[in-house]
Amino acid sequence: MMKLGLGIVLTAALSFTSCTKKKNFDEKVLHIVTEAKVKGLDPVNAGDTYSSDEISRAYEGLLEYEYLVRPYELKPNLAESMPEVSEDGLTYTFKIKKGVLFHDNKCFPGGKGRELVAEDFVYSFKRLADLKNNSTGWWLVDDRVAGLNAWREKYKGKDADYSEKIEGVQALDKYTLQFKLKSQYPQFLYALAMVYTFATPKEAVDMYGEEFLNNPVGTGAFMLKGSYTQSNTIEWIKNPKFRDVRYPSNGSEADKAKGLLASAGKKLPLVDKIIVNIQTEASTRFLEFEKGNIDFSGIPKDNFDQVVMPDQKLANTYNKKGIDLIMVPDLDITYVAINNEHPLFKDNKKLRQAMSLAYKHEEANKLFYNNTGVLANGIIPPGIPGYDPNYKNPYLKYDIEKAKKLLAEAGYPGGKGLPVITYDHMATSVGRQMADLFQQSMKEIGVKVETNGNTWPQLTKKVKTKQTQLYAMAWLGDYPDAENFLQLVWGPNAAPGPNGSNYNNQEFNKKFVKAKNMQPSLERTKLYQELNQFVSEEVPLILGVHRAKIVLKHKWLKNYKFSTFNAGHAKYYDVDMNEKEKVIKSGILTKSVDTKTASN
Amino acid sequence: MSGNWNYILRRLLYLIPVLLGVCALIFVLFNVVAGDPTHLLLGKHATAQDMADLREQLGLNKSLIAQYWDTVKSAFTFDFGRSWSTKRDITQMLIDKSIPSLTLSLPAFIIATFTSIVFAVIVAFYRGKGIDLFIRTSCIAMMSISSLVYILVFQYLLAYKWGLFEISGYETGFPNFLYYIILPIIIWVILSLGPDIRFYRTLILDEIYQDYVRTARAKGLSENVILFKHVLRNAMIPIVTYTVVQLPFLLLGSLLLESFFSIPGLGSMTIDALNSSDFPVLKAITVLSAVAYIIFTLLQDIVYTMVDPRVKLQ
Repeated sequence: MMKLGLGIVLTAALSFTSCTKKKNFDEKVLHIVTEAKVKGLDPVNAGDTYSSDEISRAYEGLLEYEYLVRPYELKPNLAESMPEVSEDGLTYTFKIKKGVLFHDNKCFPGGKGRELVAEDFVYSFKRLADLKNNSTGWWLVDDRVAGLNAWREKYKGKDADYSEKIEGVQALDKYTLQFKLKSQYPQFLYALAMVYTFATPKEAVDMYGEEFLNNPVGTGAFMLKGSYTQSNTIEWIKNPKFRDVRYPSNGSEADKAKGLLASAGKKLPLVDKIIVNIQTEASTRFLEFEKGNIDFSGIPKDNFDQVVMPDQKLANTYNKKGIDLIMVPDLDITYVAINNEHPLFKDNKKLRQAMSLAYKHEEANKLFYNNTGVLANGIIPPGIPGYDPNYKNPYLKYDIEKAKKLLAEAGYPGGKGLPVITYDHMATSVGRQMADLFQQSMKEIGVKVETNGNTWPQLTKKVKTKQTQLYAMAWLGDYPDAENFLQLVWGPNAAPGPNGSNYNNQEFNKKFVKAKNMQPSLERTKLYQELNQFVSEEVPLILGVHRAKIVLKHKWLKNYKFSTFNAGHAKYYDVDMNEKEKVIKSGILTKSVDTKTASN
Repeated sequence: MSGNWNYILRRLLYLIPVLLGVCALIFVLFNVVAGDPTHLLLGKHATAQDMADLREQLGLNKSLIAQYWDTVKSAFTFDFGRSWSTKRDITQMLIDKSIPSLTLSLPAFIIATFTSIVFAVIVAFYRGKGIDLFIRTSCIAMMSISSLVYILVFQYLLAYKWGLFEISGYETGFPNFLYYIILPIIIWVILSLGPDIRFYRTLILDEIYQDYVRTARAKGLSENVILFKHVLRNAMIPIVTYTVVQLPFLLLGSLLLESFFSIPGLGSMTIDALNSSDFPVLKAITVLSAVAYIIFTLLQDIVYTMVDPRVKLQ
């Protein structure tokens, strides 16, 4: 056995001049890396970004986001056009595109993908509601669609009857789909662009049963090669029967200057294959990118100074290697949540304000986000209606004297009488460093903080059961509506809901309900801005930064534009294989990095 | 011979109380200490009602006795059901993941053991001389360096800079997987050499100073014959003990190497299960480890009788 083992390795070592695979530049392949495990490929369980990205290669929804347009805008995808909405705003009627085919798959007669019909969406909505599927996306339609909750409850613990009609989601004919909502829900259209609501064929679910999540069958631009086996490589191949979808031409001048309109009018998808590598270690991901094995990547924290100069430009050596730096604001917010149900913080606004003023926000941005984040003047991030660039959060600046004064007014002069406060964080190096900075900041006004590292399950459990006092968290927008950020402090959403700070202010709640039910308008934007200020000044949570998305890409990757909502975007990417071959064969990518010179 | 079979049967029967104990332990750990997994499984928007529904569905509302019985049943039938997180059949997951783990750990372990024994014999033979000092010093130097340093430096130099190996990844089927496992195997071997050579050297030296070696020398046997025919044979008993005990852990792979080299093995599966409170998967891995440990210690006893005829199974 020992000889056999040694023999295998030696044979292998001698068989190849180097133990690496020969690179193939003949086929147009997009190489993507993802940093976490993909749990499965069932749309109703697209609960994390990584799974959602993969699912969206195979499945599609009624709507999608314009690829190039910012601020984000919706456009029809499997829908023929945007829906007709009734005057009362409760009925949405969609026409479905004709001639759209599901992937060829053995679940269909003769293995040929059949045409998508309105009934597929009815079925997909029922799957989303079916308790047996435990969908992480149920919240999108919970108590929104007429009859859907009743159907869900009726079949609790039983096999649901999918043939039963539901008033709120019906196929009026083969190509007409109608939704009836129980109340105003302007965010509903965003829900239809989210992976949870994408079209799923009943035949595939019936045939694959519990293995359906490993055997995706959609209408998307790519088809999975084989079944998904939880391996660390996922291979997608171009769907040969993908309908005629063209690369958009409605980009801005800036997009044009960046070459993002060069493919305008070309039939999608532009690559033959996508190979997705799951790599959880940042250092390895970065080496793979530097070597040219993946086409775009983030920058590990430890490599940031080596790659990006203090003026936030790309280091010259990387520039010479044909690498581009993309730095754009993401729709997110980081914060230290305060448990407002805890007697210490409940009804003690001044204590919360004092802590916010004592926290070194700028230092945190410098230390943990390389100064690339935008300090959060409000809970609503830039890029969506409700964000007010002119508003300055009075509790964002570091003002130790005012903090001390407020602490005294809160009943704890110099921190006297205030018990030690626990700050829970993830037990990672960055989590610990953030906790240390928070502890140090509070010490300066006499507030004693004890830090406590947790695994993700531990932290989640504490938050969901209201066992925290303070904890660090971030929120990435589900859709580009301020409602998705303001709901983080909406009373009825208290833990186990997303309002982990358990803030419950009647005035805020009332105005929030009014705003979230309004159709987009100037009036709604003003109300969002008012609520945004309300949160900043009430300090139910200590706001941090809106982080930037920082991406490095090789120049051979064409048409890449970052989007927070990137479902299905891989179909727009293109890879110039000639350029890639030239760069990789030149060996320039593995040459030493000179970090001293900034790019021009 | 029938004594041997009785012994094997008796040891196998020990599996029953051990498994019951393991089930009790994991039941307490997962169902009582760890708490409610629905917090994590339903995502950030879950409501109390959603969580209650899921608890019902996962059987977490059953009585503790009923839940313990489910755990026992799955341990004895090896039917662990489906993963809560990935919804895949756990037995299939274990099969799928153990192959990449073993393709890395088994050859690495064999090469490391073989090489270490060879070096240990050499240093024992030349004990006190320059080569002994050099190898021992090298062993200590190798052990002083963190495994992370080996991984990062070797990935950077050998794979990225010199292009001798793939940086990371895994493919099934021969010879494709070789492209990806050679570098982690080299690192595994280097990490094992330091402690293993020193350990085996000590075992061999313990034998070298035994009375029977002096007798052999007095009888005029050559050093080679003494070392290879007598010393090494007797040193094999502790070597076998040490080696066989490590075998069940090979199945679990190497967490660090699997993680950095993106090898989809059982090590990374365990971490994923921990991070997502996937109790059925964690239970399966714990039960599997316990069973493997018992079986391999039994094998160890059987191998004893082969290396040392004086040992009888009773």
